[in-house]
Amino acid sequence: MNGRRSAGGSGGGGRGRGGAQTQQGKEGGRRPMFRRRKVCRFCAEKIDDINYKDIKLLMSFVPERAKIMPRRISGTCAMHQRKLRTAIMRARQIALIAYTSE
Amino acid sequence: MNRRYELVYVASPEATDDQLAELHGQIDAIVQRMGGTLEKTEHWGRRKLAYVIGHHKEGNYVLDVIIGSGELLKEIDRRLKVIDLVIRHLVVRVDEHERVVEHTRTRRTETSRRRRLARGLPPERQPGEGQRSEFDDDRDESEQDGRFDREDAR
Repeated sequence: MNGRRSAGGSGGGGRGRGGAQTQQGKEGGRRPMFRRRKVCRFCAEKIDDINYKDIKLLMSFVPERAKIMPRRISGTCAMHQRKLRTAIMRARQIALIAYTSE
Repeated sequence: MNRRYELVYVASPEATDDQLAELHGQIDAIVQRMGGTLEKTEHWGRRKLAYVIGHHKEGNYVLDVIIGSGELLKEIDRRLKVIDLVIRHLVVRVDEHERVVEHTRTRRTETSRRRRLARGLPPERQPGEGQRSEFDDDRDESEQDGRFDREDAR
């Protein structure tokens, strides 16, 4: 994952970086904002099969509270978020993933 | 119309090996009777449940891949609901999903090959080639291993 950051400098999604510098200037004392461009993990890693049995993969999209991580946070594209959702819901039915955790 | 289904059922943790074998025999009998085939069976063994189901905290997971009609699976579903030993089960139709996965995979390799050939490159990605290799290289060994594990598992 570190690679993304270094890759950003050499060309690729420069959007985050340029914006960050100007914002730093405006806001004065605030910590500089570095926002890494979010990429859909399934697109980037070319994962075709989102399977309900692959708990290791699914769990990375189910944070502690056991709710499905929203797209605005994970950066997953719409198509993959839909597939991810069905997979997680199936895994929940057979108690591989929790519905909630209090 | 024969379709491919996956059946996952969770048997109670108190079930003995004999009982599990009997359960498997029952399912096999239904499959045989209604003209389907039991393609493979995977025993995941005892796993911790993510939440408590009827005082059980663990369960014996079994995965069956069944080829057969919808009626067959309906019957299996009905039977499993009745059997008390089975605390949870799930039937998923997989043939269509597998086809889609296969399709996207072949289409991607084909387009990448075509584009690479159009650019006058060899069709396969060479080691140490730009962009993605940069992304691959600076992950450490353990991370790479983890990724391959998962790919094997699928």
